[in-house]
Amino acid sequence: MKVKVIQWHAVASWTWDAKDELCAICKLPFDGCCTECKYPGDDCPLVWGACSHPFHLHCIVKWTGTQNRAHCPLCRRDWQIQTETQ
Amino acid sequence: MLDVSRIQKELTEIERDKKTSGISANLCGDSDLAHLCGTIAGPMGTPYEGGLFQIDIRLPAAYPFEPPKMQFMTKVWHPNISSQNGAICLDILKDQWSPALTLKTALLSLQALLSAPEPDDPQDAVVAQQFRRDYATYVSTARYWTEAFAKGAYLGMEEKVQKLVEMGFPEDMVRTTLEQCGGDENMALEKLCSG
Repeated sequence: MKVKVIQWHAVASWTWDAKDELCAICKLPFDGCCTECKYPGDDCPLVWGACSHPFHLHCIVKWTGTQNRAHCPLCRRDWQIQTETQ
Repeated sequence: MLDVSRIQKELTEIERDKKTSGISANLCGDSDLAHLCGTIAGPMGTPYEGGLFQIDIRLPAAYPFEPPKMQFMTKVWHPNISSQNGAICLDILKDQWSPALTLKTALLSLQALLSAPEPDDPQDAVVAQQFRRDYATYVSTARYWTEAFAKGAYLGMEEKVQKLVEMGFPEDMVRTTLEQCGGDENMALEKLCSG
């Protein structure tokens, strides 16, 4: 039997590799975007702290901007962006 | 700009388990999301047991990046709460605030503060001094204030419920509406009539 492919549809899905589902700051899903953005994904990326807690980049930047010395909202350790991904 | 979706989410979350948590929060008026009315049930085994404490909650425009402003509207005798105006001395409502905290966790912290006064970091020096020097008098004063000021809301509430039920509204609906209106009988009646 011979099969001739006339047309095909590729479907892909993506998700952020974060253990929690919601950003602790805006309480919105990581796979969605922060309150300021319209489109999830590259437009509204996540960042992980050195303490390993993830947030929407835009949310944590807003928070650290209000602090003299920035702390992680979840564990209060000094906030530093994790440089190497595991 | 107020984060409307987060506040609505928080209110839904508080509503969901208000029976077990002993705390509630609702809009004070009709539409202003920045002004909320909270309540805390006095913790068991403390002089505040049996009382219902009203908390005025104001959300700054930068919330949740700035802490909510909370103040006791019900008079309370506690070292960390002003007996004059209800101002609260609690670190998470000041420099220890974090945007990961919520209205619910803040109200639960106030409930915990009622259970565990911190006389070494007082808001009301008179109460704190009494707490340290004459604990028995502190307990009886706090209990008396609970009796005199924090139970009125309950008593008045039952009368209001009865009045509205007599007008022909179902009791369940009367209770929820009264709660939404912060116990304001006229506002509740208006709402019941229009709903």
